[in-house]
Amino acid sequence: MPPEIDYSKCTGCGICKDTCSEDVFFGPDIVEPDGISKPKVTYPESCFHCYLCVEQCPSGSIKIRIPLVMHVPYK
Amino acid sequence: MKLEIENIKTDVLCVGGGIAGLMAAIRARDLGADVIIAEKGVTRFSGSARIGNDHFWCYIPEYHGNDINAFIKECMLTQLGNMLSNLSYPIIRTWLENSHEIVKLWDSWGIPMKKDGKYDFSGHSFPGRIMTHLKYKGRMQKPILTDQALKRGVKIMDRVMVFELLGDKQGITGALGMDTRQGRLIKFQTKTAILGTGAVIRLYPGVTPALMGNNIRPFTSTGDGRAMAYRIGAELFNVELFSRHAGVKNFCRSGQATWSGVCRDPDGKPIGKYIEKPNIKYSDMIIEVDKQIFERYHEAGKGPIYMDCRGLSESDYAYLREALLNEGNIALIEHFKEEGIDLMKNQIEFSTYEFRYLGRIAMNEHTETSIPGLYTAGDESTFSISGAAVFGWLSGEQATRYIKNIDFRSGEKDSDNIEKQKLMISSMKSESYGYDWKDANLALQHTLADYAGAIKSEATLTAGLSHLRRLRKKLDNSLRARNPWELIRCLEVRNLYDLGEITFIAALERKESRGMFKRSDYPYTDPLLNGKVLIIKNSEGKPITEWREMGG
Repeated sequence: MPPEIDYSKCTGCGICKDTCSEDVFFGPDIVEPDGISKPKVTYPESCFHCYLCVEQCPSGSIKIRIPLVMHVPYK
Repeated sequence: MKLEIENIKTDVLCVGGGIAGLMAAIRARDLGADVIIAEKGVTRFSGSARIGNDHFWCYIPEYHGNDINAFIKECMLTQLGNMLSNLSYPIIRTWLENSHEIVKLWDSWGIPMKKDGKYDFSGHSFPGRIMTHLKYKGRMQKPILTDQALKRGVKIMDRVMVFELLGDKQGITGALGMDTRQGRLIKFQTKTAILGTGAVIRLYPGVTPALMGNNIRPFTSTGDGRAMAYRIGAELFNVELFSRHAGVKNFCRSGQATWSGVCRDPDGKPIGKYIEKPNIKYSDMIIEVDKQIFERYHEAGKGPIYMDCRGLSESDYAYLREALLNEGNIALIEHFKEEGIDLMKNQIEFSTYEFRYLGRIAMNEHTETSIPGLYTAGDESTFSISGAAVFGWLSGEQATRYIKNIDFRSGEKDSDNIEKQKLMISSMKSESYGYDWKDANLALQHTLADYAGAIKSEATLTAGLSHLRRLRKKLDNSLRARNPWELIRCLEVRNLYDLGEITFIAALERKESRGMFKRSDYPYTDPLLNGKVLIIKNSEGKPITEWREMGG
C-alpha cells in the first residue's frame, strides 16, 4: 500500500507530512534509534496516488508501491 | 464534554481551496474584501486539480469565430453534453463568455496556456469538426494559484474542514470548522460563504472497494458543500442522477481524452468509427459517445478493450507523454516503468468506472444559490477546471458586491445549532461502544449500490431508503472516532448519509428512465420532463421535491 518510507534515507524533515492533503502520515512520528523522529504511514488506503510526497521529498526516501489490485492489465 | 471554540471573523469565507475557492478568494481580495480560505487539506496540493490537468474548456473568438452557439451545439455532442444538458443556457453562455479572460489571466500568472505562443486545441473532439478543448500545462496550477492568493493577502487556513453553515433564510451568518490535526473547533462569523468543496466520491463503491482512495477524485471529496447547503435549506438539483467515467483499468485517473490511441477489441479491430490510427489531435471519441461500451464488451465476453497508442511518431509520442504528465498521471507512468509497460509496444486495458454523482447545488449565472450570501462554484454547481475557474472568479465578484450592503449578524438558531454540533462531536469522541467511519461508509455504499444502483424501482428504492434511515438512526449516537483524522472522516460520512438519503428520495420522485438513470417500473423517458430539473430542498427538516423548468 502506498506510500513507503525508506528510513535509512529519511532525514525526518516532515515535508511529506506537510504535503499530503489526505494526511496519510497523520499522528505522532516514530522515533528512530538515532533519536530522529520520522513520519509514519498511518492511513495508506486514503492515498490519491498523486505522487506529490515523492516529488517533494528532498532525500528521495519515499516510494509509491501500487497495490496489486490497481495493477494495469496490458498485452 | 466541554469543547473550546476559536472565533474568527471575515467578510468572505471560501469553503474549500480548490480551483474555485482560490479563484473566488483572489477576485474578492482584489475587490477589497477580507477573505479566508478554509481548506481540508493544503491548498498547494489539494483537491482534484492538484495532480494537474491538460484540457481547459473554453471559447476563444479569435480561434473559434464569433458564433458561440455553434460552439455550444458542437460541445453538446461530446461528453460535455451529458453535463451541459443539466445546466441553463445563461449559465453555459456566461461560462464560455468569461472563459477566454481566465485563460489570459492564468497565462499571465505562469500557467502555460499556449504552445509556442499559440493556442493549441486538441482532444475531446470529433475529427474534422470544431475543436472544443484548449491544451495547457496545468501541473503547477495549484501552487501558482495559492501564491497568487497569498500575494494579495488572502488568509489561507489549511487543514480546516468546514462542516456546518450557520444562518437562516435571511442569509449566511457563519460556519463551523474543525482543525483536522488537533480537532479544535472554529466558529467563523462571516457575511458570505462561497462553497467550492469539489466532487462526491465514497457514496457508491469505487472500482476497488477496499481502496477508497483509488478514484478519479481524491478520497476527501465527500460532497461537504452540497450536504451543508442542503441542511441550511439551499436547493439542490438532479441529485438522483449519475454518470460513469472510463479510463485505465484498475488505476483510476480521469483524462481519457489525453490518450491519443485507438480503442480496440482483442482482435485489434477499432470499437468505434471515429479514428483507426492513433491521433494526437483527436482522441478516440467512442469513449465520449459511449462510456459503458467497455463494461458491455466485457459482460458480453467480447472484451477486453485496449487503448492502443502504437504507431505514434516519436514527436507525437513525446507530446502524449508530456500531456499525460500534465494531466496528473505521474504515478501511473512510474507504474508502467516499473512493470516494463511501453506504450509504443503494449496496449493497455480500459474500463468503465464507478458511478459518478451528478447532483449539484442550484445556482444562477451569478453563482447565487437560493440562500442570500451563499455562493457556489466548481464541481458543486458545474464541472471541470474551467467551470471552477470561471465561476470561482465570478462568485468572488458577487460576494464582494453583496457584503457592501450588509452587516455581520447572528441567526436566530445559530446558538442552538452550535450546541447541537458540539453534542454530535462529543458523541463521536466518546470512548463507549460504537461504529467507526469506515464501517458506516461501507454500509452506505452497499445500500446505495444495492437499492439505488444501475436499475431501480419504487420497491427497491423504498426498501433501500428504509434501511438507510435505520442505519442512520443507529449511527446518530454511535459513530466513533479515535483521533481527529477519524473525526473528520465521521463528519464526511455524516455528509454522505445526507446525500445518500436525498438520492433515494429524488430517485423515487423521478418516475421515468433517463440516460443512465433506469427505473424498471418506468422504463421510458418522459418527454414532459425534458428541459426540467428535479429540485430538492430541506424545509424544517423535511425533504421537499419540485420539478422546475431549467433556469427557472
